Amino acid sequence: MSGTSIVKTLCRMCDDHCGIDCHVEEGKVVKIEGNQEHVWNRGRLCIKGSHGTDMIYAPDRIRKPLKKTENGFVEIPLKQALDEIAEKIRNIQTEYGPQAVGVWKGEAVGFAQEEELARRWIHAIGSPNYFSNDSACFAGRWIGYSLVYGRWNAQPDFENSRCIIIWGANPPHAHPNMTQQINRAREKGASLIVIDPRFSAIARQADLYVKVKPGSDGALAWGLMRELIERGWTDQEFIQNFTVGFGQVKEYARKFTYEYVARETGCDAASVIPELARKIKASMPHTVIYVGNGLEHHENGINNIRACAYLDGLIGAVDQKGANYSPVGFPMKELVLYKEKPLLDLGPIGRDRFPILYRYRQECHTMTLMDQILSGKPYPFKALVLTGANPAMTNPNSFKVRKALGALDLLVVHELFMSETAELADYILPAASYLERSEMHVHGGTQTVTLTRRVLTPQPEVTDEYTMFHELAVRLGAGDYFPWKDEDELNAWLVSDSGISIETLKAHPSGYHYAPVEYEKHKRKKAAGEKPFNTASGMFEFTSAILKEHGYQELAEYISPRSNEVRPDRPYTLVTGARKVMYYHGRNHNLPALASALPEAEIEMHPADAARIGVESGSMVKVTSDIGSVVVPVKVMEGDEIGEGVLQMTHGWKSHNVNQITHDNVFDPISGFPLMKAVQVSVEPY
Amino acid sequence: MKTVTIDLKKCVGCRNCEMACAFARTGQDCVRDNSNIRVNVYAEDRFVMPMTCFHCEEAWCMGVCPAHAISRNPRTGAVEIDPVRCAGCKMCMLACPYGNIHFDHEKLVSRKCDLCGGDPECVKHCIGGALNYEDAQEANDRKQRLTGQKLSGIMKQL
Repeated sequence: MSGTSIVKTLCRMCDDHCGIDCHVEEGKVVKIEGNQEHVWNRGRLCIKGSHGTDMIYAPDRIRKPLKKTENGFVEIPLKQALDEIAEKIRNIQTEYGPQAVGVWKGEAVGFAQEEELARRWIHAIGSPNYFSNDSACFAGRWIGYSLVYGRWNAQPDFENSRCIIIWGANPPHAHPNMTQQINRAREKGASLIVIDPRFSAIARQADLYVKVKPGSDGALAWGLMRELIERGWTDQEFIQNFTVGFGQVKEYARKFTYEYVARETGCDAASVIPELARKIKASMPHTVIYVGNGLEHHENGINNIRACAYLDGLIGAVDQKGANYSPVGFPMKELVLYKEKPLLDLGPIGRDRFPILYRYRQECHTMTLMDQILSGKPYPFKALVLTGANPAMTNPNSFKVRKALGALDLLVVHELFMSETAELADYILPAASYLERSEMHVHGGTQTVTLTRRVLTPQPEVTDEYTMFHELAVRLGAGDYFPWKDEDELNAWLVSDSGISIETLKAHPSGYHYAPVEYEKHKRKKAAGEKPFNTASGMFEFTSAILKEHGYQELAEYISPRSNEVRPDRPYTLVTGARKVMYYHGRNHNLPALASALPEAEIEMHPADAARIGVESGSMVKVTSDIGSVVVPVKVMEGDEIGEGVLQMTHGWKSHNVNQITHDNVFDPISGFPLMKAVQVSVEPY
Repeated sequence: MKTVTIDLKKCVGCRNCEMACAFARTGQDCVRDNSNIRVNVYAEDRFVMPMTCFHCEEAWCMGVCPAHAISRNPRTGAVEIDPVRCAGCKMCMLACPYGNIHFDHEKLVSRKCDLCGGDPECVKHCIGGALNYEDAQEANDRKQRLTGQKLSGIMKQL
């Protein structure tokens, strides 16, 4: 078609960054298709990806800065908004101390420099209080794997695997194009095993599906370890040369008999464990154990994740072809100021309570923040700047979150839409979408770096993160930390030590491979006298001296989830947060085409439970936890798509917000992750 | 001629194809009922089956249509329904052995896959790689090649 040009860049409707072709006509993106050359998605896109234009051109997008007044929100010029916000921050810091201000990054806008810019900005203006959605999603797996082997790769080497174990994850809905990677491996003969309380989309193609009770994953992992050790199906060479604490693993695993594992998990362990072990034996070390978000939101989440990570070490599937490969990072300059301005003496919120979270992620604890805002203890906290975050919908105990955010002296929200959090704001700054900015994206799994294109010029008062933080920093006397004119200058600086120029990146819109793949780097490092792994001991740690130092058990011991003891007054176990492919957490519900595919919230229920309660699909039920209640329509599942006594409800629905009933008072003691995936509830017809 | 091929061992029932088809047809929604491709999930049997028109060489729908509304697009090979000629008698729906023709209750005509004019949206949205737009012979060759690869791997191990 004449007059149409195709601009290649990356999608950002979720965090997978598929390659896209934007069809541009007269300055407008008229169509988005998958980029055939992109190694991640090979021309395919999920329905969100092709509907990016719905978001970009949505009539309800915020395009002018808004200020809350007695008469509701009114439009004001950007300069006035920035002046007033800076003035208020300055006054708050003068009156209450620099630490009374914080920043919070979410998942709605960029996903590249957004995080580091937020961290840089808050430290530049003198506060250590950086928050993000990561402390309730993602950081749990990062910490779990980092404790064991020094890093976590969210993108395993599926393509070369001979056995793929998907544990508490549902890639077709959460990371759609991982599905084709998994399927290509299966086409070459790999087996697929899915472990989940729900018979999910990916389970439909599994050679072996194992249903477990929510939060009991650690028992199955330990049972599997016992089996592998007893049969001698382990990699002794790896264990002897690269691990610490194997003796304790061997000893502790003994108690995980088939009977015990069956009781804890509800699965037929006597048949499942030997079959799992045989599949692992046949594939090792080209075995992927991919752990999803499903394991994070539990009281023993980190140790359950660590137990899964142990399996990698037992079978030598560490930094291996077709296993959990550890990518080489791209040598981009760091924006964070933790070396120059650590600000630890100012008391990052939650660091005392969850020191491991802070040590591994430099994240403050968002649930503790809500309590601190309301109590003023141990110090007053008065102002928060959020970018692309919607905690009023996505953090546990929404009522408390709304109360806390409403109690702030200043709430600034950088957003594309009037989110539930933006509604509470004093100022809303319109954010640039992913097609209106240019950022550096690193795809770890494929070791590629991509400079995304500013396909569209943003309207004058719509800002990317760099511009917003730069302008506020200048006004607050921290402009020296933000010396770059704009994002483009920043990008050039970021790559200035990498040996790869911006021009090279521009010439590779489908991604520049910055390093060849190298497996088993620990062997080379050991031979060179370096630490094989990025842990305290330099080894793959079955036992963690760091955890011991902080007063935790050094071994990833299993603790039975409280939901395994049925409480008569709360007889059901509610899992929350299973992904739906047309939505992205709380996002896209305002986009009519996508929302038409699943217009209403639902709570997934086993047919026997529905019969017992006396409801059918479409009936309303009231679901109550110790935190609160929510009313929602029922979806009766077929067969055993969900376990009896187990329910599932996805987050992100304004009218049926499940986070009204999730826990902000029960945590994993290591990561501080809230209990959101085994919430004890009662259910009654409504 | 290319057609939409289906690999049953790759479909996870994510329904991106249905949503994309519905949107391609309506330009405004992703409602399953508006899609010409349908994914049927048999949870109890652990089976998933996407179904869309096979564009049969001897298309019974075409032969049975009294209004001569069904013809083959010479460029794409797609068996297409002309909604202007269609009388809404539903004979084609009865004739199709697979249930791949649907009825449009608003326009009161039959509707079916037209391969999106040779660039099918369902395939571009198939994140599992179960749907491909290719010559049926190509799909067969691929199957043979993979079977050979698997066997050669097994032979090597013996």
